[in-house]
Amino acid sequence: MTLETVGFGVVATVLLASSLAVVLTPNLFHAVLYLAAALVATGVVFLLLDQPFLFAVQLLLYAGGVVTIAVFAIVVTERLVGDRITQTSRQIFSGFIIAGAVLVGLLTFILRAPLTRPRPPLAGDFTRAIGDAVLTRFVLSFELLGMLFLAALLGALYFARPDD
Amino acid sequence: MTDPGSLVTLALLLPAATFLLLSIAYPLRRAGRAAGIVSVAGAAVALAAALRAWQLQSAEGFTRIALEWIPQESGPLATVGVLADADSTLMLVLVALVSFLVQLYSLGYLDTEAPASLGRYYVYQSLFAFSMMGLVLAPGFVQLFICWELVGLCSYLLIGYWYERPAAARAAVKAFWITKAGDVGLLVGIVLLWFRAGTFDFLQLYDLARGGQIPLAGLGLVTFCIYLGAMGKSAQFPLHVWLPDAMEGPTPVSALIHAATMVTAGVYLLKRTNWLFALTPDVLVLVGWIGAFTALFAAVLACVQSDIKRVLAYSTVSQLGYMMAAMGAGFAAAGFLHLLTHGIFKALLFLGAGAVIHAVGSNDIYRMGGLRRHMPQTTVVFLVGTLSLAGIPLFGGFFSKEEILGAVWSGGLAVPFWMLVTAAFLTAFYMFRVVFIAFFGAPAAPAPLAHGGHGGPDAHGGGHLHDAPAVMTGPLWLLAALSVGIGVYFTVHHGEPEFTAPGWLTPLAVAVAAAGIALAWLTYSRRVISADLLATIFAPLRRGALAGFWLDDLFEGIYRLALLGLARLVGWVDRYLVDGVVNVCSAWTLAWGDRLRRMQTGLAQDYVYGLAVGLLLLLIWVQWPR
Amino acid sequence: MPASVSLQGYLILAAVLFAVGLFGVVTRRNTIGILLGIELMLNAVNINLVAFARFNGDAVGMVFTVFTISITVAEVALGLALVILIFRVRRTAIADHLDLLRG
Repeated sequence: MTLETVGFGVVATVLLASSLAVVLTPNLFHAVLYLAAALVATGVVFLLLDQPFLFAVQLLLYAGGVVTIAVFAIVVTERLVGDRITQTSRQIFSGFIIAGAVLVGLLTFILRAPLTRPRPPLAGDFTRAIGDAVLTRFVLSFELLGMLFLAALLGALYFARPDD
Repeated sequence: MTDPGSLVTLALLLPAATFLLLSIAYPLRRAGRAAGIVSVAGAAVALAAALRAWQLQSAEGFTRIALEWIPQESGPLATVGVLADADSTLMLVLVALVSFLVQLYSLGYLDTEAPASLGRYYVYQSLFAFSMMGLVLAPGFVQLFICWELVGLCSYLLIGYWYERPAAARAAVKAFWITKAGDVGLLVGIVLLWFRAGTFDFLQLYDLARGGQIPLAGLGLVTFCIYLGAMGKSAQFPLHVWLPDAMEGPTPVSALIHAATMVTAGVYLLKRTNWLFALTPDVLVLVGWIGAFTALFAAVLACVQSDIKRVLAYSTVSQLGYMMAAMGAGFAAAGFLHLLTHGIFKALLFLGAGAVIHAVGSNDIYRMGGLRRHMPQTTVVFLVGTLSLAGIPLFGGFFSKEEILGAVWSGGLAVPFWMLVTAAFLTAFYMFRVVFIAFFGAPAAPAPLAHGGHGGPDAHGGGHLHDAPAVMTGPLWLLAALSVGIGVYFTVHHGEPEFTAPGWLTPLAVAVAAAGIALAWLTYSRRVISADLLATIFAPLRRGALAGFWLDDLFEGIYRLALLGLARLVGWVDRYLVDGVVNVCSAWTLAWGDRLRRMQTGLAQDYVYGLAVGLLLLLIWVQWPR
Repeated sequence: MPASVSLQGYLILAAVLFAVGLFGVVTRRNTIGILLGIELMLNAVNINLVAFARFNGDAVGMVFTVFTISITVAEVALGLALVILIFRVRRTAIADHLDLLRG
């Protein structure tokens, strides 16, 4: 029982609990907050996988950015609270079935593969490797990503303009 | 050009050439008389060639020219060409002679026709001449059948020559239908024979039959089917009903097709395949019985007709029955001889009747009377023909009729023999009835003869009671001379019959004919015996005869029931089953389309369901080979 | 419990997270709720990528993860902008009411 295993168990529990809360809670605002928790937990998972850089990215962009915009969107579209779960959720049974089926499918797929070896030791600095790769091998994708952000920004500006 | 083979080929191809010329060069055809002259010229040369070929042809030898038509590994499947032997050249002469005379006669008979129609007439006549010659000269069953059908087509075209008349159009279709019923049998018979013997060729089949190599089992069916074709074409009972109606066509057509040539094709077929029928004596007995019955039946029907052409039509049916009876008795030569003599004098009778109709403007004998004063030539030739038909010595029909009676007696068919004797009595009676009413006696009351008066289909003009022009009387005199000539010839040169006739046969035949003439004379000339009394005595028979013994009604009923019923059934199947399947498919497609349309709910989450299901299927598919 | 968590553990975690996200997507009535579910699914994908990259020693998976995070953020921003626009027009953010493309 190493620290890593215990840590993984705790993080996994938190992640799953908060994600279930995201999809089940009637209050939409609470759902967003639970999502923030789930995103942070995911970041911790990245930490467990020896990726501090990704942890930082996750926190900044996801937990910071996405949650913020979600809150703004909720505020603008009013309808915050539903009293019962059926006011916020529909066809729960069939959704459960389909999600369960997908889960079972994926699990069978995963469990049949021989993936039980322990992780190999760290070979070099991953963050450095990410940086190198982004600016050499994947520089084109990186630049395109910049284009994409520009387009998204323009689109958001266009959507948000006043009606006149 | 000195061998029979090339001469008959020339005779065969001349009417074909005329036909092609007239049908393609339509200005010539539309000229009317010019087309007729071209056709007549071709027929004349063909006649000359046929005569020369017959002269050169020896009794035993034959010339065969055959071109391969449908090739096959072991010898050709079908050949076309000519087979010239004693029988075929003689028949060819008859066909060419009557064809030529009729075409010549038509120039005078149809002089009031529109030129374009006349051209059409000669096109059909040429086609008919070619087809009939092709049938006569056929070396095998394939060409025979093709020409058989062509001849039937020409009969349809020529009976329906005045197609604007509904009666003529109906008669043409009826003739076609009835003979087609027989033709189906012929086709079936030919194919069955091919299955057994492996060939269509007459010579090969003859050798096989002589060598006993055709299996006898079931051969009776084959010959019966072939006989069915002859039954249709040669108007044997019960397929005789088309021949009286065929009188709707012009009289020259009746003379050519329904007296001398087409209807004799059936008899000729039996003569040609004599060696085949000899293998199935049961079928021959049947042929004989049906022939004798037809002869008697038609003779009875002829006694009550008032249309001169119908009398002659029934007479033809009766004489065809005679020929078939001889065939059935096994003495095909006797039947064939009667075919030839009958062709001559029946054509003569028809053409003579045509002259009378042309003059009087009506077919009805009760509108004619005392014609011998106005039309002496016609009277003489008609009388010659009648005497031949009645079987009086020194005239053409006597010898051949006596041969047939002798053949039937020697063949052992006793009841048919007495039927034929009775028919001979009736033949003399009804023919002289016509002669006495139409040519002798008092002239009929002048009935309104405007527009050809009553009844006569080819009555036109009328009112000019004099002998016909030369172009019409020429053929008449020629035929009359031939009739008498044949009669004298056979009286002097008695051939050797294949059988020995009993000594009382000739006196009996003559006595019976004389008795018939006497009865007719007493009834219709001297008026000693009242015709009405005879009608009363034989009232039920008479009523039946006037109704054709209801055979037409029977056929019509069968047509309605069977054919129309079948058509309705097929129509129902087409509407409800065939169309039904298509309609059901369409309805199902629409219904399912409606149902499946509800998949498109427009809600994105439902589509996510679809995505998830797709993902599942993908997972399953990837993991499938467990 | 094993000495260290193997790749399988991370993958199972990602799979469960994915299933939960899918459940959220198909059940939530509010459009923003659907988008939250999508977020969860994308996170599961990221965990998957990073786990594989770590266990194979390959940095490419990390780069890929950076890209997906970035693109996801852009997508969520625009998605929420669309939700706001629809709300302005139809005064509703309930997904069930947005069925104009019904067949």
